[in-house]
Amino acid sequence: MKKDGHIRVKEAWVLFFLLGVVMLNYPFLHIFNKGYLILGIPMLVLYFMIGWPFSIFIIFLFAKTTRDNGPPHSQFDKRKGPGSE
Amino acid sequence: MISVTVVAVISLAYLGLLFAVAYYADKRREAGRSVISNSYIYSLSLAVYFTSWTFYGSVGRAATTGLDFLPLYLGPTLIAFSWWFLLRKMVRVSKDQNIVSIADFISSRYGKSAFLGAVVTIFAVLGIMPYIALQLKAISHTFNLLSGRTIPVTHGVQNILPAMPLLDTAFIAALILGLFSVLFGARHLDASERHEGLVAAIALESLVKLIAFVTVGIFVTFFLFDGFGDVFRQFLEKFPDRGHLLLVDTPQIPYTTWFTLSFVSMMAVMFLPRQFHIMVIENSREEHIRDAMWRFPAYMFLITLFVIPIALGGLILSGGDAAQADYFVLEIPLQTGHLWLALLVFIGGFSASAGMVMVESVALSTMILHHLIIPVILKLRMGPDNMSGLLINLKRLGIFGVIFLGYIYYRIIGESYALTNMGLISFLAASQFAPAFIGGLYWKRANRQGALIGLLFGLVIWFYTLLVPSFVRSGWLGSEILEEGLFGISLLRPLEMFGLTGFDIWTHSLFWSLLFNLGSFLTFSLLASPSEMEEEQAIKFVDAMAPPQEIEQRKRISKAPSIIEFVDLMSKFIGEKQAHAAIAQYMGDRNIDEKGSLSEYEQPSLKRFTERTLAGSVGAAPARIIIDNYLATRGSRMEDVFDIFGSVTLSRTSSREQLGVLYEAARVVASGADIQTILDNILDFLRQQFKFDLCVIRILDEDEMVLKVRSQKGMSTEHLGESERELTMDTAIGTAFLTNSVVVVNDSDFMEKPISAQIIHKEGIKSFAHAPITIEGDPVGVLSAFSRSAKGIFTDEFVELFKSLAGQIGVAWRNAQQTARIIQAREQEKEMEIAKTIQISLLPTKVPAIQGISLAGVCVPASQVGGDYYDFLPSTNALDLVIADVSGHNVGAALLMAQTRTFIQSKAIEHPSPSQIMSSINEFFYNDLTRAELFITMFYLRYHVEHRELSFASAGHSLPIVRRADTGTCEHLDAEGLILGVRKKVEFQENKVHLNPGDILVLYTDGVTEAEDHEGNFFGDERLCTLVKENANHRPDEIIDNILKQVRLFRGSQNFQDDVSLVVMKIE
Repeated sequence: MKKDGHIRVKEAWVLFFLLGVVMLNYPFLHIFNKGYLILGIPMLVLYFMIGWPFSIFIIFLFAKTTRDNGPPHSQFDKRKGPGSE
Repeated sequence: MISVTVVAVISLAYLGLLFAVAYYADKRREAGRSVISNSYIYSLSLAVYFTSWTFYGSVGRAATTGLDFLPLYLGPTLIAFSWWFLLRKMVRVSKDQNIVSIADFISSRYGKSAFLGAVVTIFAVLGIMPYIALQLKAISHTFNLLSGRTIPVTHGVQNILPAMPLLDTAFIAALILGLFSVLFGARHLDASERHEGLVAAIALESLVKLIAFVTVGIFVTFFLFDGFGDVFRQFLEKFPDRGHLLLVDTPQIPYTTWFTLSFVSMMAVMFLPRQFHIMVIENSREEHIRDAMWRFPAYMFLITLFVIPIALGGLILSGGDAAQADYFVLEIPLQTGHLWLALLVFIGGFSASAGMVMVESVALSTMILHHLIIPVILKLRMGPDNMSGLLINLKRLGIFGVIFLGYIYYRIIGESYALTNMGLISFLAASQFAPAFIGGLYWKRANRQGALIGLLFGLVIWFYTLLVPSFVRSGWLGSEILEEGLFGISLLRPLEMFGLTGFDIWTHSLFWSLLFNLGSFLTFSLLASPSEMEEEQAIKFVDAMAPPQEIEQRKRISKAPSIIEFVDLMSKFIGEKQAHAAIAQYMGDRNIDEKGSLSEYEQPSLKRFTERTLAGSVGAAPARIIIDNYLATRGSRMEDVFDIFGSVTLSRTSSREQLGVLYEAARVVASGADIQTILDNILDFLRQQFKFDLCVIRILDEDEMVLKVRSQKGMSTEHLGESERELTMDTAIGTAFLTNSVVVVNDSDFMEKPISAQIIHKEGIKSFAHAPITIEGDPVGVLSAFSRSAKGIFTDEFVELFKSLAGQIGVAWRNAQQTARIIQAREQEKEMEIAKTIQISLLPTKVPAIQGISLAGVCVPASQVGGDYYDFLPSTNALDLVIADVSGHNVGAALLMAQTRTFIQSKAIEHPSPSQIMSSINEFFYNDLTRAELFITMFYLRYHVEHRELSFASAGHSLPIVRRADTGTCEHLDAEGLILGVRKKVEFQENKVHLNPGDILVLYTDGVTEAEDHEGNFFGDERLCTLVKENANHRPDEIIDNILKQVRLFRGSQNFQDDVSLVVMKIE
């Protein structure tokens, strides 16, 4: 059960990454690549000003959730290398 | 303008503050309380990505080409989303392997290849050095802008030599930054290459540059203009023709360029040496990555939020002149007269530069030291005995070297195209590490050849398609090569390789370099087969996140160095203190054998540990070379362990085979066969299963105190398999028995006991082991196994198994002994039955009826048969009474008693008196008694019925009692005489007493008087007398019953310890 959860989390990160790549490139970007001003701000600039923090917020939420569910692994902290105190 | 002095003093004061912070962080770390070990500091320190090139250059880009500054931050944001599986794995691997730089990482992954490390290092230095030049330029330029210095900087090679540029700002900056980099990064040797002070300083710088940039942004957007909308409105009104600056898919920024920039910035944020250093090496906890995944992107969002307003504002204020766009951030506050703000911006930009230069120079100097200098030192076998001092100084020199290479580059190339685009050129260089790095992290097949050829291709194409054109544009090279291609071959034009046109320089270079890099990486990885070392490392890297498993190859070191020798070796490179600290940590939870050294199978692990520790100071590849050389000089060798289980590994999976063997052995033990068959079968099985040449079981012979061979299988050798062994510490077997511990010799070339060694060598044995066979922990014998074919058979696991087998044999031996004992007991029991039958048959079956007396007798046998005997022998006018007790409780004693009875019954009558009867019995049985080691006590009485006279003789028997009817007292009948069977000729005294009517004679054996109560008191004569008196009026059989009853009461038990016999005669 826990292992499944961990795999889901891992796949979710990959999904976010791929989604981000798509949303910040052609052709998706082309949708917003217009000369209009919205609220006095060019549409493309506004897209970045809203979309970027939004994606960061999603990651923030996700990081918070996974931490609350307990870290999948943190063995490294217990294993010490030489001089890594 | 602000005076030079003020700017210089403030800069120095700022550096001083940074140093104080760094010093504090280092002190705290030494005290064990890290200030940087939290995800805020970690996230902030990652922002070392944000250099002065981006601090000033983003605005420049935004003002000239448009939005293409954004991919440089969007890319890292995206890759940050993957950190939980990518970066975490990088960190895990690096900590596990004690990796200290990206060159170390790649070299380690591919079999600790020294050459690969050198290639990565050279690539990194080539790619980064100009980037450092850019930082120096930014510091010097902004310093001059701020202080209004207009010293024209002349450029070109010819200008360097004549003008020792002491007053050159960039030179001073380089010097100061070099000094601080040494202070932060190379104050002392650190085996782990972690610099908490440096990280603390970087984090502070990141905070300062964020504050500076956001402050300017707010100032421009909200004070000079009326918010974001106002900036855009004014800009579009003033420059309607520059609307493309707010769009993509423009001639300057096609989608391909956008993609290329996002991609290379993703790679740069992962693989630039300084990023790798801060992200991976300085990471103190994996957990911090989770928060850094959104904090670092958030930082980039905040710091780029105001880039567009500042750029557009700058353009509006400067009337559309973009020539100074790179410095709008500083120019705007200066020109609007906000000197404090300008100063803040300068400090922010200075932070960006300084942070980058410090981390980069430390990271690069580590790489240069580990992958270029140390391999040469090792190759030439030079260097003093204690290298640690030399190493730290070389590192310091390396830091200065890197920074001054940057400075020289700046002086030569100057403010040209090459410099302004150096940031991206570096990014593309870092991208070339991606195939070897990511491939190595996730693909086990990836091997050294693929990585090396891929990297070399990447390096060459990167150089050719990016650096060459930049040299041309700086006027360093003729433009022919751009126009006509190398050697006039048009297909080789650096910007249009193989005729590929229509792409910007970055996309073009990225495409070709990555195509060749990745292509050859994949191809050669598939074609070439990796070395053993590479395969080992591949597993460690690719499976780093898997639960830790014993994947170590089983090796042993012949002629292994001692712990002290390993410590000495480490001291040479990392200093004595560090070496001792490291070994103390290592030894913490290890098993140390009785000689105070590590067990044989711990040694390879100590070797790995030493290598890993050294790797922290000198890099993985040199560490491997150092260890290999060291072992080679000592004549030590790593040897493969003979795989005794015949399976893939000897680790945890082997427990199944072990169980199988033990199961089989247990089956043999339980088979119920006789002990010899069991021992033979176990040895046969052991020998066949593990291909031993000889297996022997010796069991202690307790009489002779030697170990005697009970079973042996395999080659016939007189010395090893057939002879007895004394119990002595001089032989291995004796030692195993006496110390009750397993003796293992895995290499008979190195043996301590000369006697054993002699025998072993004579028989050509290469390895052997002795395990004590124990019963309930006490040794009873030794199980031995010998091999002529292989050394190092006896791994820890096998020794465990061997011990268990010896235990099984112990069980078998104990079982056999118990069986023998049970059989013996049964025989004894049978014998007892016989003896008892004989004894009972000896006793008179009825009492003779004689006038004038009444008579009764009884013999109550104890649980163990005794040797009591009594008899009545009536004759005319007389009655002979005899009571006797023979020592010994067996058939022999019973038979002897039977003989005695026969003798008495046949001869007694012939003799005139008891004493003569006694003498003749003694004489007749003396030999038999002596031979059987038995004695008889006897009391013989003859009662003359007519005269009521009693004559008697005693052979050491309990004295009978006579209770006188007239006086009511007890008398003892006494006569001197030795026990029968002590001496051949014995004179027995004969006494006489007269009995009167009413007198009672009581004969008894010591079973009566020596009956014990629970406190150990005897029943005794007194009690017996009293009893007889009390029962004087009863019949003899009643008297006997009462006596028995009282004795039982006294004992508190129904049973007697010894036979109890009583004869009572009453005169009437």
